[in-house]
Amino acid sequence: MSSRQVNLTIAAFAAAFLCVAPAQAEKGKVGQKVSSVSAKKVYTGTGKVLEGGVVAISGGKIDSVSGGGSEEFHAITPGLVDLGARAGAILWSVEQSNEVTARLSNSAALDPWGLEWDRLVKSGVTTVLATPLDQNVVGGLSQVLKTAGEDSIAARTVRKDSVLRGAMGQQPSQRNSPAFGRPTDFYARRPTTRMGVEWEWRSAFHKTALGQNEGGERETLMKALKGEVVLSIAAWTTQDIRTAVFAVEELKQKELFRSQGLDKPRVVIDAAAEAWKEPQLLARNGIPVVLPPFTATGRTREGALLPRNAADELRKAGVVFALSAHGSGAYDSNLAVQAGAAMSGGLPFDEALKAVTSTPARLVGAEARVGSLEEGKDADLALWNGEPFEPTSRVVAVIVDGVLVWDGRD
Amino acid sequence: MKQHILPGALACAALSILSVDALAGDGKIAIKAGRVITMNGAEIKDGVIVIEDGRIKEVASGAATRWDSELLDHPELTAFPGFVEAHTNRGMDRPNENLEVAPFLDVRDSIDPINFYFEDSLRQGIVALNIQQGPMCVVGAQGRVVRPFGMTVEDMTIKPDAGLKIVAGSRMGRSRATQAMMLRKSFTDVERYLVKLMQDEKDGKDAAKREALFQGRDPEKPENKEGRAMEGVAKWKLSGFELVGRGLVDKKQEPMLRLVEGKLMAFVQCDGAASVHLALEVARHNGFLANTVLVVEGDSFKAVDAIAEAGVPVVLGPSMNWTERDPMTGKEEETFIPAVFAKKKVRFALQSLNSTAQSLWFQAATCVSYGVDRETAMSAVTSTAADILRLGKRVGRLAPGLDGNVVLMSGDPLSATARVEYVVLDGELVYDRSKDPRAKQLLEGVEQPGAAQQGLPDEEVDPHSGQKKPAKNDKGDKTEKKD
Repeated sequence: MSSRQVNLTIAAFAAAFLCVAPAQAEKGKVGQKVSSVSAKKVYTGTGKVLEGGVVAISGGKIDSVSGGGSEEFHAITPGLVDLGARAGAILWSVEQSNEVTARLSNSAALDPWGLEWDRLVKSGVTTVLATPLDQNVVGGLSQVLKTAGEDSIAARTVRKDSVLRGAMGQQPSQRNSPAFGRPTDFYARRPTTRMGVEWEWRSAFHKTALGQNEGGERETLMKALKGEVVLSIAAWTTQDIRTAVFAVEELKQKELFRSQGLDKPRVVIDAAAEAWKEPQLLARNGIPVVLPPFTATGRTREGALLPRNAADELRKAGVVFALSAHGSGAYDSNLAVQAGAAMSGGLPFDEALKAVTSTPARLVGAEARVGSLEEGKDADLALWNGEPFEPTSRVVAVIVDGVLVWDGRD
Repeated sequence: MKQHILPGALACAALSILSVDALAGDGKIAIKAGRVITMNGAEIKDGVIVIEDGRIKEVASGAATRWDSELLDHPELTAFPGFVEAHTNRGMDRPNENLEVAPFLDVRDSIDPINFYFEDSLRQGIVALNIQQGPMCVVGAQGRVVRPFGMTVEDMTIKPDAGLKIVAGSRMGRSRATQAMMLRKSFTDVERYLVKLMQDEKDGKDAAKREALFQGRDPEKPENKEGRAMEGVAKWKLSGFELVGRGLVDKKQEPMLRLVEGKLMAFVQCDGAASVHLALEVARHNGFLANTVLVVEGDSFKAVDAIAEAGVPVVLGPSMNWTERDPMTGKEEETFIPAVFAKKKVRFALQSLNSTAQSLWFQAATCVSYGVDRETAMSAVTSTAADILRLGKRVGRLAPGLDGNVVLMSGDPLSATARVEYVVLDGELVYDRSKDPRAKQLLEGVEQPGAAQQGLPDEEVDPHSGQKKPAKNDKGDKTEKKD
């Protein structure tokens, strides 16, 4: 094992402490390994809640979750998982020389020293899905990774290139315009309407089935259609969700796709603000969704309406959902606030907890490692000074892979 | 694509407030709640609040109620005095004026009763708002404390003449030095005017008399003829001023004269620690420190010791976290501003972050999450806020003699799941959530007719800097945004 360099964003120098015996989460010992943490309430994320509990950690994994302990914190939850965190979603995380760039991976575009990681960590988010920007119809492969740890994206990655990302609706066509009365440029070649965007999707699917594409593009799209990588489609409004679902249903209806086994995509619809309006579309295909942040007025971008009870309505309709804060670490809009907002619309607490821990972990196939406090899973914990998701409490310390990566207690 | 609110939807929403049953002008109501938070001592279990003639008569468990008063009986709800927005420049047709020094303006002329802002505030349980001009000036209009209900400004008014707005921070592209100069000059200009007035009177010139007549004051009338000495706690000494007739002082100069005389409050907005020092200096020099409230934003908290020493209360800006990036390590450091003031025992009130979701209850709850004790946090949005506005005998507490304002909530005011169910203002039921169509839209997605596609404009925010990226065809909108 090579000697480690300390991340600039961690206050203490870990090297000096490597020989010190691992300890409890002491104030200020950021960068140090933790062997156990205790709290008045331990929410394991499996449905089991301990009144007074201890989580024992060794080798970066959870050893056990048991009763007792000295109640250092008010509450412990699994580290939060955000599939819509938009980490690294910057202009150079997506390639636009072609509308569909399925084979490209955004792992090289992620910056381990970016400020966004600290902000995510401080709000208790320990695992994110980093997707390319939605300026392209099919942007490329996305990474599931931790928000803290070693200084390399590779070291933090939980699942590499495991999700293919694309978007329906306005975003991929936003900056484009038809070529009227001026020299044609790049923006004129790209789709300028929703139907143009839909056409690119269906065209990509059909080309794959008909053998009209090749190389990495073909390989990645085939994996997506066979369900070997998750297909994440951003679709905010009712019409875009419909478009996405119908495109998926077309795969199941056409012999062309069925005969080649290309009718089994594992689809997740991201930023599905209006999913609550027609949940039956999603339920009949077993398609889960990730909700965007709740807004002050109920209107999200693209003019979608996201009422507070959307999450609860989806739960009642049998649609699996996760919540997202779109990368915000601010006290008024982080992931805990989103969970609180969903609860204000009637969602029970344990459902809200699932929606930010075990459910998103499962949707991207990372449930073996993250999403709940169970023996053998990664020791990713969010430590709270009150009841989680209430505005009177917040995350005050975070442990990732058994290391105290942030301590915000005074 | 930017969306604009359709005029039809405005009218439609305005009607929604009128549809609430309000017992016209009775002011007599009794409210029973399972939990009564008075902000005036201990909580009361199964309390009764008796309101008569629009004022609270009694708050106790098992108090007697009149046979002819309306009864709101809700043992499942929590009664609360309602929130007090200690400072805002919303609710007007636009928050700023073009004139740098315009103390003769009054926000009464700008307040728009049907603005959505008031409806949203009422929905969030706010019962009083201090409307002040925005920060793009040196000396601004006189403010007013209003309640968020009523079809005319007079109907809404709780306290007219609520204070003069002064801005100490650098604005409008001006440097701090220029802003400081203009602020000091605005006071010396008043002094110079008064000295000239006295000299003209001695010289027998009649320009002031003619101006007074033009402004509608007859200088020969007895009440206007009596000499006027500097009244109150004035620091300026103008000998000979008592020979000047009371009615001769120009109406435009009156507000600042009253400020110096200690008859008017000043709300001084500071955009940072540097402007706090300017604000305190100007207030001390012109003798109105005792009537000053600082409205602090940015890194003003760094001057907390000077503020504590001056003994002035503060209204904190809507954004309660201050982030600075260490130039050496690149690490971001956050300071929670209310905690700084709580620690130094400076009295403070809060502002809402927005009028819908992150309203005063959310700001107070966030203070608790950062270690401010619950009592201080709750007071900052109720009793202390009222005290800072010199309205402690009107709003902010449930106690006999205060205005009959009660908010009934479905849970603890600081919890995520509690909702404002009813609001009583001056003894009248003015808000009932079950009849509120905009609440239905926000909470349950029941859309109002004509309200389709009212969206927030698409925003592209750079996730690294948090800055809004300019849209492709953005030509820059120079006009102020309307609410």
